[in-house]
Amino acid sequence: MAIISLPYRYLERLTRTDRKTILEKIALIGSDVERVEEDHADVEFFPDRPDLFSPEGVARAMRGFLGIESGLPSYPVSASGISFSVDPALADIRPVLGAAVIRGVSFDDESIQCIMALQESLHWAVGRGRSKVAIGIHDLDTVKPPFHYIASRRSRKFIPLDFTGKMSLDEILEKHPKGRDYAKIVKDFPLFPLIVDDDDHVLSFPPIINGERTRVTIDTKNILLDTTGTDKRAVGVAVNIICTAMAESGARIESVEINGVQTPTLAPAERTVNVRECSALLGIDLTASSMAALLEKMRFGAQPEGTDLLNVKVPCYRADIMHDWDIFEDVAIAYGYENLQAMPPATFTVGKPNPVQTYANIARDIFCGLGYLEVMPFTLTNEDILFNRMRRPEVPGVLHVLHPISIENTVVRTDLLPLLLEFLALNRHRELPQRLFTVGDVVERCATHQQAAGLSTHPDADFSEAYACADAVLHELSISYTVNESEDPAFIEGRRADIMVDGKTAGVFGEIHPAVLNAFELEHSVAAFELDLRAVPGYPAL
Amino acid sequence: MAELTQNEKRLLEKLAEKNKADVQQFADELDATPEAVVQWGLLGKDHGLADVLRGVKKILEYTEEGRNYLENGLPETQILNAIGNGTTLSDLQKHPAFRIGFGQLRKKDLITVTEGRVTKVSGASTEKDESALKNRDNNNPLTKDLIKRGLLQETEKVEYTLSITEAGILKVKQGLDLRGETGTLTRDQIISGEWKNLNLRKYEVRKLPRKAFPGKIHPYQRIIAEMREILLDMGFTELYGSIVQQSYWNFDALFQPQDHPAREMQDTFYLGETLPLPEGYERVKAMHESGGGTSSTGWGGSWKESKAEQCVLRTHTTSLSIQHLAENPNPPVKAFCIGRVYRRETIDTTHLAEFEQLEGIVMDEGVHFGNLLGILREFYHRMGFEGVRFKPSYYPYTEPSLDAEVYIDGIGWIEMGGAGVFREEVTAPFGIQYPVLAWGLGVSRIAMLRLGLKDLRHLHRSDVAFLRDTPAYRRSQGGA
Repeated sequence: MAIISLPYRYLERLTRTDRKTILEKIALIGSDVERVEEDHADVEFFPDRPDLFSPEGVARAMRGFLGIESGLPSYPVSASGISFSVDPALADIRPVLGAAVIRGVSFDDESIQCIMALQESLHWAVGRGRSKVAIGIHDLDTVKPPFHYIASRRSRKFIPLDFTGKMSLDEILEKHPKGRDYAKIVKDFPLFPLIVDDDDHVLSFPPIINGERTRVTIDTKNILLDTTGTDKRAVGVAVNIICTAMAESGARIESVEINGVQTPTLAPAERTVNVRECSALLGIDLTASSMAALLEKMRFGAQPEGTDLLNVKVPCYRADIMHDWDIFEDVAIAYGYENLQAMPPATFTVGKPNPVQTYANIARDIFCGLGYLEVMPFTLTNEDILFNRMRRPEVPGVLHVLHPISIENTVVRTDLLPLLLEFLALNRHRELPQRLFTVGDVVERCATHQQAAGLSTHPDADFSEAYACADAVLHELSISYTVNESEDPAFIEGRRADIMVDGKTAGVFGEIHPAVLNAFELEHSVAAFELDLRAVPGYPAL
Repeated sequence: MAELTQNEKRLLEKLAEKNKADVQQFADELDATPEAVVQWGLLGKDHGLADVLRGVKKILEYTEEGRNYLENGLPETQILNAIGNGTTLSDLQKHPAFRIGFGQLRKKDLITVTEGRVTKVSGASTEKDESALKNRDNNNPLTKDLIKRGLLQETEKVEYTLSITEAGILKVKQGLDLRGETGTLTRDQIISGEWKNLNLRKYEVRKLPRKAFPGKIHPYQRIIAEMREILLDMGFTELYGSIVQQSYWNFDALFQPQDHPAREMQDTFYLGETLPLPEGYERVKAMHESGGGTSSTGWGGSWKESKAEQCVLRTHTTSLSIQHLAENPNPPVKAFCIGRVYRRETIDTTHLAEFEQLEGIVMDEGVHFGNLLGILREFYHRMGFEGVRFKPSYYPYTEPSLDAEVYIDGIGWIEMGGAGVFREEVTAPFGIQYPVLAWGLGVSRIAMLRLGLKDLRHLHRSDVAFLRDTPAYRRSQGGA
């Protein structure tokens, strides 16, 4: 999530209204006000709306939403006469380039910070941490066009931003803080992307760092924007968002020629949408003209075409409009969620419980009747709890998570009893007897099923208590079973039994082995029982 | 007045005889320990029938040396005896008690020494000292000297004196039933009618009971069960499915782009396992790459089968919803699932790597966004939340999307869940013709409010005392 800092004075100037009016309504366009401070507010916007990641973009949206102005904002673009060449050798490295010239910039402390913050937010939300898109802005007056986007040897040297001496590209990856942060994006390529001017001065080593030479300061008047990446659409969106934000602040945008094409155009995309489809999706009555008015409030251009169709001009900065429904959501936002009629659907249906949960609930009832207290341990655990302490061999097909958060959570549980024993260990200081049970998911390879387990600890807990409990649960679940002597090493030899259902082992019960008790640091004997609920007649196959 | 115990009555009888006496006397006569008698006396005191006086008495005890002199006489007595009618100093020095005894006699002016001969003064006697040693009386001025000489030592002793009150005397006069008391009635006593003659022991009913801990459902499971009941009542079908899911069902089928940050290793638990893609996956691929013939542009780029085959621990139960819809593409479908989901979060008081999610879907001809708001409001009302409101939100697989907020007294509006209409990019590849309304919420959030938990981990690594103390039923207020 992007949290954007909105300085009131700048925001008020851009929106042409007071902060109170803005903050009252800002959540209604899709945001969360995180903090309201003396001189600014921090507001969180959703990642699908990077056009709102700057006060300029927020002001543009709020002017529409508050009725200060409406319809498609227009951004005239004239040709700068500057061209940018792209080295074909970049095709497999970082092929996409977007660029623009921004003239007549007038920065102050707040607006320069906002544009830097916008750049960083775009790197995160659109650029996927600069891998997909990286943005550089330069003082145009320090360099000489035309510009060249080249694949450079790695030993090429220049002075990177915030440093005083020349460094090679390899050195930058090693020593510059930004180099270390983003090295992984380029380090495997034989040649590195580089932007130079006609005098071979380095502007930027994308996506890592700009050159010190073209540093943008509060006195910068004219800007060259470069945007490189791997995805044409994402690069285009980033260029459009920055250019239109700068235009909102009063700058003029000029295009650059890349491979014979003038870019950017900042022209809207067009879609024809169906008014009735939108009405049906939102559950509100719309006419072509009422829908057009709502969309104009959201800064779209909208022109009815007959009664059912609407020609919509989508502003070039709207990265989120992929589908007609994306436009319909803006209709709903403009209409106001609070004005929608909240009404459950009329179709009659009958609720249907899932048998797995029904059986689990029956098992819970039985355990409660036997005086057992339910606990709900985590499903993520580790081999030490599941196997080592239980003296059990690791079962084949236990699921290891590839990147565990800690050594405590490395595998998904295959049994419940070890977790109940761990639970007892946590509650050693509590009054005895303790009788605990749990019912829940365990995995076997990629399949999930439910098991039920219970245990009882007190100085007299023994095999017969475990047997009595197991028998009661099995009886109440209508499971016909026989018992076999068990070889489960978690239990004491001669005081353990396997529950056999239809010739298969469906569970185990008995007295926990003292070595297991030692491993869990328990001091009293434990009578325990675990059952695979797939033994319940009628348990559905997953 | 509460009933007296048998022992209390026995003590009262004795008290009535003696009026007041040291506890030891009663102990001897009642054949009990002094401690027990004090207990009975205190019970009597609670009933206003007796008084228990706690006194601290200073007593004098012999030291080892003192006990020795008690048997053999004080050293001065021994020396005085040895002097007889007179003796020489040098003879006297051979006596073992000479050093102390001679000194004491000199100090007390009981002897004279002239030119090596020792004689008693007239009427010399140590009788008073001997008697002081023997009688150990604090009031005797000589005792102080004996203490100083280390022959006696002072210690404190707690003594209880029991006495009877006016009410006690009256009670005894009224007569006490001293028949033996019966605790548990036996089968024989019940059948034979002997119970008619028994004096059944009466309990002090105001005393706190012995604690009994019932077997019961976990308070969190109760909340889950409550939600399940509500959704079954509202006509939803319950889903259950594997916690291990292919990325295909967890992400791709939900139109989550393959480079989406939520799919990265730091947010999702990946497993080494892979599963083959189901039939018809090409439609999902086409949707991602180009919009699959809908009004969508798709994500562009190329969609990789290998990424979709990777298994993950499900990050939401939406993976089950979409599979259910794929299997049941005809309307109406109303389904829900409450199940555990996994996020690779750093665990702290409000974040767990695994937690319960509730999710519901409705697919039907003619359902719309307003219906979704209606279902949510109904559900939250049934959960006890009176104030419910909605605001725009963003979820990758729904459009339009919303967040629901509920009002809680003393806290204000808090976010309770997200919802939206499944994007056509999600539904079209499975031949689903009608809108799918979907919503989800974190069950643990409600549990935290209801149970007043400060730390979510206590739901899963619980203190047994917390589970025992949390009542099965609590009147909920405003859902919390």
